[in-house]
Amino acid sequence: MKEARGKVPKIALIGNPNSGKSTVFNQLTGLRQKTGNFPGVTVEVKEGRLRFPSGAEALLIDLPGTYSLHPTSSDEKIVTTVLTNPKDDFYPDALVYVADVTHLEKHLLLFTQLLDLGLPMLMALNMADTAAEAGIKVNTGKLAERFGVPVVSISGRTGENIQKLLLDLEKLLNGDGHHRRSTSAFYPLREVEKQVADAAQLNVATGSPYHALLLAHHHAWLPFLQKQERETLAAIVQTKDFQSLRVQVDETLDRFDRFTPIVRQTVSQPSVEPTTFTDRIDTILTHRWFGPLIFFGVMLLVFMAIFFGYDITGGWVESGIGVMIDAIGVGLRENWFTDLLTKGVLPGLQGILVFVPQIALLFLLITILEEVGYMARAVFIFDKTMRRFGMNGRSIVALIGGGACAVPAIMGTRTISNWKERLITVMVTPFISCSARIPVYLVLIPVALPHSSWWTKSLVFGGMYFFGLLAALGAAYTFKKLLRTSDPSYLALELPVYRMPHWKNVWLTVWEKVKAFISGAGKIILYISVVLWILGNTGPSGALENAEAQVKATATAEMSQDSLDDLVAAKRLEASFAGMVGKSIEPLIAPLGYDWKIGIALLSSFAAREVFNGTMYTIYSLESVGRVEEEEAANQRPFERYSRLRRQMRDDTFRDGRPVYTLATGISLLVFYALAMQCMSTLAVVRRETGSWKWPLFQFFFMSGLAYLCAWVAFTVLSR
Amino acid sequence: MQRRYRTVPDLKQNESALTLAFTDPTLAGKLTAMGVLPGVRIELVRPAPFGEAYYVKVDGVRLALREEEAASILLEA
Repeated sequence: MKEARGKVPKIALIGNPNSGKSTVFNQLTGLRQKTGNFPGVTVEVKEGRLRFPSGAEALLIDLPGTYSLHPTSSDEKIVTTVLTNPKDDFYPDALVYVADVTHLEKHLLLFTQLLDLGLPMLMALNMADTAAEAGIKVNTGKLAERFGVPVVSISGRTGENIQKLLLDLEKLLNGDGHHRRSTSAFYPLREVEKQVADAAQLNVATGSPYHALLLAHHHAWLPFLQKQERETLAAIVQTKDFQSLRVQVDETLDRFDRFTPIVRQTVSQPSVEPTTFTDRIDTILTHRWFGPLIFFGVMLLVFMAIFFGYDITGGWVESGIGVMIDAIGVGLRENWFTDLLTKGVLPGLQGILVFVPQIALLFLLITILEEVGYMARAVFIFDKTMRRFGMNGRSIVALIGGGACAVPAIMGTRTISNWKERLITVMVTPFISCSARIPVYLVLIPVALPHSSWWTKSLVFGGMYFFGLLAALGAAYTFKKLLRTSDPSYLALELPVYRMPHWKNVWLTVWEKVKAFISGAGKIILYISVVLWILGNTGPSGALENAEAQVKATATAEMSQDSLDDLVAAKRLEASFAGMVGKSIEPLIAPLGYDWKIGIALLSSFAAREVFNGTMYTIYSLESVGRVEEEEAANQRPFERYSRLRRQMRDDTFRDGRPVYTLATGISLLVFYALAMQCMSTLAVVRRETGSWKWPLFQFFFMSGLAYLCAWVAFTVLSR
Repeated sequence: MQRRYRTVPDLKQNESALTLAFTDPTLAGKLTAMGVLPGVRIELVRPAPFGEAYYVKVDGVRLALREEEAASILLEA
């Protein structure tokens, strides 16, 4: 891929947010796309392969949507970084500018900035179908003539004229398109800008004067500038008394003054704007009372869909992999490798796959809400609330996503421009009860409340979600008070018109999120499950063999082979390194009401929470039962599952005869699992998103410390 | 004596006015880039349910603005 990249021309897709850019990207590349990372920064880039009618190929890069080359968020900074650095890996050979033709006068600022940057460019007037319906007529020929670039009227939704776009684009790349722009800039620099640009051009190698001007404006943060270049530019700005912010605004206004008449001459719009469908819906959806009420209703529906979806599909995946494990177990000879495969790798894989259906479902629902245009309204409604807790209205999307899996949810925080707000969102999202906690809650709730009604148990289950949300908000509030920032914070958000979701976009987004989960979380869960297998299957020399021999020596004749095997497995685990560690931390966790068996389960859960159930089955000599019960779970009501395990847990006692699992221990465990940072994948993603190990380590100790404290309080209070 | 200009939060629901200027250069950069220019007609559609944000309309484009963003837009009398 790396070498091929040099030969294949690179094309960047660029435009304002809500220009329908991603729809066009999906039309052009389909499934031939992947998500990568901009080197050195934590912003993701989508790239895909594009095939011209001639058969030639090109690499299509989807740049984040932005209004201007003077950026305000980390997403938008990428665009300026890439386009002002010809040495950048993603620096394109040509640009495709996507503009919403129904609001063309609002979509040309960035376009004219790009004109002055001097890259070959093609304008795609998107949403031609909507424009036709609204009676908007565009003279594309005249538009092309006035701007000096090829203009194609397309529809990303219907696919109209996509082939023509490709034809024109190939011509543009080959230099024989009607790319006959005069060398004069669209926006002539003012005196002060000219002086600064000239000085910058003399000292730092640059292309057009506008390019030089951009470097001067943004020298403080542009990552590719050498230290010396940065200092030179800083000195230029200083000596010329260059008021960057004011100059930017003046430039913006001047550009609008220049292109607005062009739009008037080339686009004819029906003069009166009627009260539209969108306005009518918004009177309800952003209404004082109905707005928030409908939001909570929608969220309730989403979570019910997730929970019942998990109920059905989780069982399928469990039994599917169970069958596979059994088949492999039968087919292979019994040795350490088969054991590693069937007890380490495959259950690890199962741990990943079991969450795929619900993660897909949650992101399907979120993506639909986003595509329809509803999410922007939720952001608008909750901006104030989120800001009380040091976050941003946009954080609400991450917090909802955290209900499925924190990994893709945290990756979605990049649209938050303010570093502090984004960091807080990243730090508290893992408190939201994710799908990995569901199986643990389903075991622990009936253990803690064996005689309560189904209703009480369901209420506690719902309470766990509420508790997680409360913890997230509480932590966010604390961070808000502790962290300082000088970053500006914005809401300024376009509320798009409501429209039917474009299904191709929806499927591709869901596919992308699931892929992010599998590759982000999946790999780590897999590694950890192998490490855990090693810890659980090795011990001080001879210890495991001794334990096994002891079991076999004391075994009675009436024991079945299965229960003998299970007992051997339990004793081996107890004698292993994992067992030793579990026992050695017993004094540490005794104040929470836990014994060494729970210690082992806690240790293994630090990789991923859902490992809890599997470990408990092994410890209680129920390994073979566990496989059967996991498969049966699909046909049972939630709190009736895992009955043998629960019975075994209820019967367990400490060495002095007190039962291990009381109400106090059960609640203490629930609290611990709700709060503790027990997910390596999340930590890995946080490291990637924050750029250092500082924040994930802090998060780990903060969350786990809080979990310990709260579990201790719960145990102490309840065991009185 | 300094005259106090009206700003967007001073508008009544469904009232509109022409914009005049901005009070804050950083916010001005963001707002102008989004098409909120001096001299355009801005309509306050409704305040946010919990307050501190406004749903506005500029040239048929719908925007959500925070209190201080809305308050940085000076309006013609």
